[in-house]
Amino acid sequence: MELQKVITPSPRSDLIVEGIQMISGLLLVLFLWVHMLFIASVWLGATSFNALANFMSRYGLVWITVAFLVVVIGSHVGAVVRRIPKQFREQRIVWRHAKLIRHMDTWSWIFQSITGAALLALAIIHVVVVTYGGISAKISSTRVFNHFLIFYIVLLLLAEYHASVGLYRIFVKWGWVSQHRLHRVLGVITVLTVGIGAVSLYVLYTLGAHFA
Amino acid sequence: MASRELTFRILRYNPETPDVKPHLQDFHLNEEPGMTLFIVLNRLREEQDPSLRFDFVCRASICGSCGMLINGKPNLACKTLTKALPDVTTLMPLPVFKLLGDLSVDTGVWFRDVSLRTESWVHTDEVFDPDAAEEKMDNELAKEIYEAERCIECGCCIGGCATANIKPSFIGAAGINRVARFMMDPRDKRTEQEYFEVVASEDGVFGCVGLMACDDNCPVGVPLRSQLAYVRRKMAVAGWHMGRGR
Repeated sequence: MELQKVITPSPRSDLIVEGIQMISGLLLVLFLWVHMLFIASVWLGATSFNALANFMSRYGLVWITVAFLVVVIGSHVGAVVRRIPKQFREQRIVWRHAKLIRHMDTWSWIFQSITGAALLALAIIHVVVVTYGGISAKISSTRVFNHFLIFYIVLLLLAEYHASVGLYRIFVKWGWVSQHRLHRVLGVITVLTVGIGAVSLYVLYTLGAHFA
Repeated sequence: MASRELTFRILRYNPETPDVKPHLQDFHLNEEPGMTLFIVLNRLREEQDPSLRFDFVCRASICGSCGMLINGKPNLACKTLTKALPDVTTLMPLPVFKLLGDLSVDTGVWFRDVSLRTESWVHTDEVFDPDAAEEKMDNELAKEIYEAERCIECGCCIGGCATANIKPSFIGAAGINRVARFMMDPRDKRTEQEYFEVVASEDGVFGCVGLMACDDNCPVGVPLRSQLAYVRRKMAVAGWHMGRGR
């Protein structure tokens, strides 16, 4: 064995990083789904949305969520960064390769890195705006109505795409489910969560129009 | 019915004449019934351009010499019928492997290197007794090992793999499948820690990003996806045990 391997602190480091990538990814998917359900409380009207928002801020849940996101997104980014072809030479090879072999899963991997990078930026903006701007039926709906509708649509689509492809990748890699069934189940889940998010945005938008 | 005129757009490159840049050259040929790319390439070489370089041995998907990118997809030329191809077909050599010229690549050096790095032989201290009766293996297990052994080392899984394309040290599906074969074999006495050292790194199973182009493109249908998952799970368990053992 070579010196650089002998003096590496842990032979398990590659497994551990892989584990961090997977667990942080799963936590973020779980978070995304709970998040979509919480937002969907606006379907029942401004009162229920406010009740939930008040509950969350009264018990410091908003800040706990922010701390959770910083830690989990931080470790996810830290782990997945090793997967992204960073050198120009690698980038050229990967794009050329994807165009050449015309393989869907290879393309979805490229989009996975792109949406991931975009999501990092969008998520930071989203978290900062929401924590400093506040959450209530009025504030949130006005936000959607005035400036942020496009932002939220893009964020919703990118997040769902990234989550869905990420989940698919985990299940395929560990061989837990058949590829065919996986496509179907994930397709349904993605359409469902995008649908829930889209309806929530619509409700917030009309509410915002009402307040305006 | 008049036969189709097929166009083959073939990558031409000779490393010995680096002044001539790699380029695609068009060849034309009339289709015949039952025609395979094996027949096409041999006819092109015989009738049109004797300098065209490509590899064939068995013409029956056994030797694994004729792996190439057929309209971008890694596959064996000998098992590809022209019937299944469009009027214009692009042929390129497999990436990752050393390009010897035109469609010919050297898969041997690559596979030998992987064999050495994964120590692809049965590790045992038992002394072979030529007079003893052969030990019987459970038939189901023998079949499972044979599934992995069916790999013909054509390199299609490697050429189609994005990771192998950018990382020369990655052993790819063929390498991981090979390790799986020895993991299943009870005659190989390697411990899970020893296997962990061989395959549980970024150059081995944890370098795989799960695009499964290997599984989608394997010309002989080795179940690479489940083989990769098998090794991945085994190595996760081994890693868990190593952590607990401290």
